[in-house]
Amino acid sequence: MKSLQILLVGLTSVLFSAGLLGQSSTVYVSVLSTKLFVVGAANPETGLYYRKTGDTVWHHSGAKNIRAFGLAVHTPSKGALICIASGNGVHKSSDGGATWKITTGWEITEVLSVDIDRTDPEFILCTTPYGIYRTLDGGTTWKECNNGIKQKFASSVVINHKNNNILYCATEDGVYRSENRGDMWERTGLGVGGVRVVVQNPRDPNNLVAGTDDHGIYITRNAGKYWEKTEAGLDHLTFYAITYDPMNPQVLYAGGYVTGVYKSTDGGLSWTRKNEGLTNLNIHSLAVDPTDGSRVFVGTQWSGIFQSDNAGESWHKIGLNGSQVWTISVQPF
Amino acid sequence: MKHTTFVLLLIVLSQQLGAQVPDRDTYLKGFEQRVAYVTSFYDTMQTAGYYQIAVRYAHNRDIARADKMFAEMLREPRGDMFWMIPAIGAYLHGKDIMSAEARAIARNAWKTYAPYRGDTENHWCMYYSALYLAAEQWPNLPGSEWYNGRSSDENLREAREYLIHWIKITTTIGQGEFDSPDYFPEYAMPMILLSQFAKDPEMKTRGTMMADFVFADFAAEHLQGQYIGGFSRIYQPAVYKPLLSGASAFAYLYFGTGQPTNSGWIVLPALSSYRLPQMIYSIAVDRSNTIIEKERKRVRNVIRFGTEKNPPVYKYTYITKDYGIGSLQGGILQPIQQHTWGVRYTYGQPYTTIFGLHPYWSGYEVGMFFPEEVKTLIADVVASKGTYNNPDKWTGGSPFERTFQHKNTLLVLYDIQPGTTTEHIDGFFPRNLEERIVDPLGWIICKAGDTYVGWYPLQEYEWKEELESPANNLSDIGRPQLERVKETGNWRLRSYKLQNGYVIEVRSKDEIGSFEQFKAGLQKHIPQATLTPAKVSLHYKTLNGDAMEFAFPEKRMLNGKAIDLSKTRLFDGPFLSADVGSEKLTMTYKGKKRILDFKAMKITE
Repeated sequence: MKSLQILLVGLTSVLFSAGLLGQSSTVYVSVLSTKLFVVGAANPETGLYYRKTGDTVWHHSGAKNIRAFGLAVHTPSKGALICIASGNGVHKSSDGGATWKITTGWEITEVLSVDIDRTDPEFILCTTPYGIYRTLDGGTTWKECNNGIKQKFASSVVINHKNNNILYCATEDGVYRSENRGDMWERTGLGVGGVRVVVQNPRDPNNLVAGTDDHGIYITRNAGKYWEKTEAGLDHLTFYAITYDPMNPQVLYAGGYVTGVYKSTDGGLSWTRKNEGLTNLNIHSLAVDPTDGSRVFVGTQWSGIFQSDNAGESWHKIGLNGSQVWTISVQPF
Repeated sequence: MKHTTFVLLLIVLSQQLGAQVPDRDTYLKGFEQRVAYVTSFYDTMQTAGYYQIAVRYAHNRDIARADKMFAEMLREPRGDMFWMIPAIGAYLHGKDIMSAEARAIARNAWKTYAPYRGDTENHWCMYYSALYLAAEQWPNLPGSEWYNGRSSDENLREAREYLIHWIKITTTIGQGEFDSPDYFPEYAMPMILLSQFAKDPEMKTRGTMMADFVFADFAAEHLQGQYIGGFSRIYQPAVYKPLLSGASAFAYLYFGTGQPTNSGWIVLPALSSYRLPQMIYSIAVDRSNTIIEKERKRVRNVIRFGTEKNPPVYKYTYITKDYGIGSLQGGILQPIQQHTWGVRYTYGQPYTTIFGLHPYWSGYEVGMFFPEEVKTLIADVVASKGTYNNPDKWTGGSPFERTFQHKNTLLVLYDIQPGTTTEHIDGFFPRNLEERIVDPLGWIICKAGDTYVGWYPLQEYEWKEELESPANNLSDIGRPQLERVKETGNWRLRSYKLQNGYVIEVRSKDEIGSFEQFKAGLQKHIPQATLTPAKVSLHYKTLNGDAMEFAFPEKRMLNGKAIDLSKTRLFDGPFLSADVGSEKLTMTYKGKKRILDFKAMKITE
């Protein structure tokens, strides 16, 4: 009992110190398409949606038919800076979504993911089927930065939150690491094909997890030098989305092709399926509310978005019916 | 004396052949008649549409109605680049005579409606051509006045850069969505608009030259309104009813061939100041001599499962006045709608073709070209291309298919991996053939007017009459001119053997004489094949006496000499000539030359 009290006090202290406890949060999602998508047709509205947790109405921001894959919200600016990775390029808003500009030109297309550096918001990375691109001036100029990468198809990128010179990128032939903001890349110890996502432990920057097409989930605890395949409890091999609980990095969620949601409470060593209430097990995005770790969101392919209020024990749909929800980001404001 | 008589005879014959191609005045007169036929259809149409608007503006009549239609159409724009082209086209025809209100509505559409840029060459070509023209029309505006937040200058610069890039890559290593009967309009239309409306003289020249380029490419492989394949992309039903394709509408307007049509694709071209050069017209219609055309194109951008972004495509085409047979080398060269080989002929309508395929589909194929998740891509694709995962489909390439063509003989081999999505191959035989007989030695021998086609299957097969074509489930969004009827009476050759193949021989009456002579000839030419897994090969001596040896996948020998496809030039035929990397296309007709020099930005004739 005493230990529980200590734990609660400790947790409360962490939340207060982070300034998050009791705060509201906002869920941002990028909807790639509905099943009705045809280039040139009168397609249903897609793109960036957001809503405050607890609200029931989704608000749309930006262009409505752009094949929105990824998104990034700059937390320190409280969402003033948002980027969308789309078929049309990298869209950027500096006023919380009131106005938008495509910052990239014709050569950067079918942008799959985007990440904004927390400390230097002028430093933005995006990934495409043709490789990785970088801007150091907030999108005024972009530069291809694929030196060292063999298969350029890049699905996701991470800017190390403790040292923004260090980057990780998920590609078709493994996870690559750069120590100089993308000037040069080296493949890490993970060289399997079709890495779809790489995420970084919110506390320990050397601890990362990667999800792959057909090869399962891998974890590294030494900045990519060695990767360990995690298999306990996993009955599937294709994972498109992995997320940490920002408050408790021992807790992870993962999902992918007809997997439903898997949860780990031991830092990814073992997993348990958590699918009660999920009516579509084809998962593409996951996020945990940084203000309340029991609130988890899962984006499906063509069935919209689901929410859990009990850390994945059960799920209920919260809208965007028929949507392919490619990316979710939950922000503490 | 005998020699002199012979020379005179040649001159007379030559003049007669030359007379087959109408002179410039006659051509232009016919062209104007076709323009009138096309535009008159839209001139009085009361339902709102961009083509109706464009025609009224261009003819300076009923402007108030056109303005009203424009406002109606722009109330809720949709269609991405398929909106951009007709919207800017209509605007450009009317900008000086439309009301200020209509002009403001048009301007506002480019501020508020954000079109998707697309993910392939035709999308980008249309998107950036239209954006270029729009940015020229509305210069010096800040980003807040454009749908994408970019200023007029930024949009103009980006569009210009892309167009120059596209022109360069197309004239150095070939078009990516090459020789597509259904996507020809998506290139011709924007280039014609640039040719007419670009303010910048250089871009205007580029538009004209690229319009010439795509028309010349089509003309050299054209027969009576039909594109002769292989093709990068073609839809059903145009694959078996060739004149339904968009390219055939352009053939009607510019070559005066095929069937009269008022297809929307050719409205803006019909209103354009662009005129097809007489030489390209002549190349398109003069079939007095047999043509062998070899071309090199490029594979659509490969983004997964490959190391080369744009591997080469090799196309071989043989055309007479009665028929054409053409092929790509096989393998996956384009996703979903590839047409690897086909025979097309002038006899009969609407089914003027015989072809075969391995109706393959896979996440691997679409994953090569599309960025979404491999495991869900098939569902994505089927949403818009309904036949993609249908085992009875009539379009698509296969990694288990290869061809070897020499003149009018084609060898096709398959080495299909067990467990592949479809474990059969199909052949299309139209119902309107005069003859379709199977001789005792195994040749299937067909007669279509003066064209004779022999098909020698290497494995056992069965016939299926197509009572209802599943192709009719195809989503044909954006192609309302295509017929939607149930097909009956066509025949499907189906063979379930994984190691498989066939030999195709095509001759015309002029080439071989009677149908009986053709049949008799085939009976003396029986292919010798080895058909075991990983060892699929074929030896065949053609009706012309050439020895062809073909081993799957890439060993091709002709009369004992290896064929090196990698040496194929960009264009290599009697009419067109271009080297890889040259940025220069030379057209030749009856001793005259027309040179499109894209480096010098100059047309020489």
